[in-house]
Amino acid sequence: MDAITPTDPCFPLATEAPVVRAEAVNFSYGEGESRFQVLFDNRIAITPGQLVVMTGPSGSGKTTLLTLIGGLRSLQEGRIEVLGQDLSGLGTRDLVRVRRDIGFIFQMHNLFESLTAYENVKMAVQLASERPAAAIRERAVGMLQRLGLGHRVDHKPHSLSGGQRQRVAIARALANRPKLVLADEPTAALDKDATHNVVNLFKEMTVENGTAILMVTHDHRIIELADRLVHMVDGRIVSDIVLNDALRICEFLKGVEAFKNLTPHELTNVAERMTRRQYMPGEIIIREGEVGEELFLISEGEVEVDREGREVARLGPGDFFGELALMSGNPRNANVIATRPVDTYVLGKDDFDSAIQASASFREQLRRVYFARH
Amino acid sequence: MAQDAIGTVPDTRSVPLAWRNLVANKRRLIRSSAGIGFAVLLMLVQLGFERGFFDASLGIVRQLDGDLFIMRASKYRFGAEDPFPRRDLDAAQGVAGVASVLPLYASWQGMFWKEPGGDKSYLIQAFAFDPDQRVFLLPEVNDQRGRLKEQDTVLVDRRARPFLGMAGDAKETEINGRTVHIAGSFALGPDFMSNGTVMMSDRTFAGLLTGNRDNPAAPPIEFGVVKVQPGADVGTVQQALAAALPKEVRVLSKPQLIAFERNFQAELSSAGPIFWMGTFVGFIVGMLISYQVIYTDLADQLPQYATLKGMGYETGYLVRVVFEQAALSAIVAYVPAWLLCLLVYYVIGALALLPLHMTLALTLLSLALTLGMCLLAAALAIRRVIAADPAEVF
Repeated sequence: MDAITPTDPCFPLATEAPVVRAEAVNFSYGEGESRFQVLFDNRIAITPGQLVVMTGPSGSGKTTLLTLIGGLRSLQEGRIEVLGQDLSGLGTRDLVRVRRDIGFIFQMHNLFESLTAYENVKMAVQLASERPAAAIRERAVGMLQRLGLGHRVDHKPHSLSGGQRQRVAIARALANRPKLVLADEPTAALDKDATHNVVNLFKEMTVENGTAILMVTHDHRIIELADRLVHMVDGRIVSDIVLNDALRICEFLKGVEAFKNLTPHELTNVAERMTRRQYMPGEIIIREGEVGEELFLISEGEVEVDREGREVARLGPGDFFGELALMSGNPRNANVIATRPVDTYVLGKDDFDSAIQASASFREQLRRVYFARH
Repeated sequence: MAQDAIGTVPDTRSVPLAWRNLVANKRRLIRSSAGIGFAVLLMLVQLGFERGFFDASLGIVRQLDGDLFIMRASKYRFGAEDPFPRRDLDAAQGVAGVASVLPLYASWQGMFWKEPGGDKSYLIQAFAFDPDQRVFLLPEVNDQRGRLKEQDTVLVDRRARPFLGMAGDAKETEINGRTVHIAGSFALGPDFMSNGTVMMSDRTFAGLLTGNRDNPAAPPIEFGVVKVQPGADVGTVQQALAAALPKEVRVLSKPQLIAFERNFQAELSSAGPIFWMGTFVGFIVGMLISYQVIYTDLADQLPQYATLKGMGYETGYLVRVVFEQAALSAIVAYVPAWLLCLLVYYVIGALALLPLHMTLALTLLSLALTLGMCLLAAALAIRRVIAADPAEVF
């Protein structure tokens, strides 16, 4: 019941070890007087299952950072860990081995014109160490089919369209179901349908396989689905925004006292069912006497609790309210009014009930709060 | 189709990248094979000439019927006139293990053959011996040597160069201005030194050479053809002979005599180096063509190779692919060139009366040279692949 599944956005793997952890990474091109620094003190951690999109003007160092993480360049300063392996101090030979576990999608498809689509993908599949020989074709062709190229398996690149070639390159990168995918504008050559297909596949890989994807792209269809948006300017990561609500709620719930004893799985269940809702100052969130349908959790801002015209409490980030009516079935016993712009996460009654059913400790936590407020 | 293929055929072979790269562009493959094949043909023709040349000049040496040969120590090649005194032959006669010692007379500078029915005279190679004794292996010579007992009778080489007219049905002509009867013919063929060969009795030889038919001086002896007694060891007899004879003559076994002549042709005459030079030029031409082909191919596919590196292929794998591709291109070009060479050998052999034969040794040598030339070209071009930087293609 409490088993942690790879789909868990809060704790996608039993160990929460990041797939990528970069710290204090500096990088310069050239030597001596022509030395030109392109990366300044970059740090980033990517956990399994995250789809991270990197944006920024050209020349901002995105691709350089990507090639460093991918072990395509040797690290100069700082520290990068990829899939549990410390890249600093690794020689060319060891970097090659690390790269085998990474799926690279290059801007140019770079397919061998002499090989069929299948054989191009097979070049990657035959490299995987733990391949059962019989599954090579299944794996390669399966990935091509998944990308809508089932009818082009034995075609050579010259008889494929630009978009089809790019999809073959994507199939080549994903066929081994790597735990980390690094991509540079992977959808540039794709039309709308193909992009949709590819983006769905990316998302599917993160969910089903726990694959972390770090991608340079300006394609809005991908940014919409991204869990995080990293923005680089002049060699620095200037913002790192969590876009995925569930992920953000998880991050938030972890810091809330009331949820402290919940197992990661329970926490995830709650987080996944919450929706975000914002209120402006003066807006009434809960009206006294109404039927209680929802539980509210404040992530930002402040609310005032009024009972019979009198202010009885002020609640801030990390506090929650609305549980009484849900637990007792009675109407709301107070007004809750936003005093400042308020960001809340809302849990519906059904989800609340099932969360309580599922989790003894959550029930216990709520009961304690309940009694504390009476 | 693809659906059927899944799971039914386990595909365990690695992608034959080198072969695929080679045959991907048919037009380019034909062009490069033609270029490399031309170089192969050049080498094969040179090597064939060299062998033909040796075979031709060694042809008569191989046909000598003896275990050991006595000749003057200062003789620098088979066909150089450098006779030794008859008393040395007599001395050899008494050495233990010797069954017989026969004199072989020869002339390369003193016999002028008049073209039958024409008016031109040509220098020819002439051998003479006692017609009652066997000094050559040639069956036709042995079958007909009885006819040579008649004075001024000769056997001629019907494979001599055509302008000598030895192959015709003329019954007589002149040698050194004296009429000789043509009693028969044998098949030997010319070499680079002589255009044709004539065999005759020792008596006829002496008469033609000295111009005194009836009472000639004894002609000079070029070789003593020694046969050892049955069961005697050739090496032992050779040592005994060498010990019994003065330093002015030496004794060679048949293989040593062949090696002696081959050594002269290969190293002392200019012929050997010329053919090797020709082979070397073919090798260089082939290597440059091969280098051009490989270099262009690598330049075209550098991003692909860099991508393979990015995916986790080691440089060693890529180097292997390039060398494999070079070796395959060598073999693909070699096969048609080899076949074409058979035709060239046939045509040139017929025109130049050169014994040009494709042998296993020649095939293996030329194949090794072809592989070497393509692999060397690959080694020169491989730097590009080693330097390919996967970070550049991202």
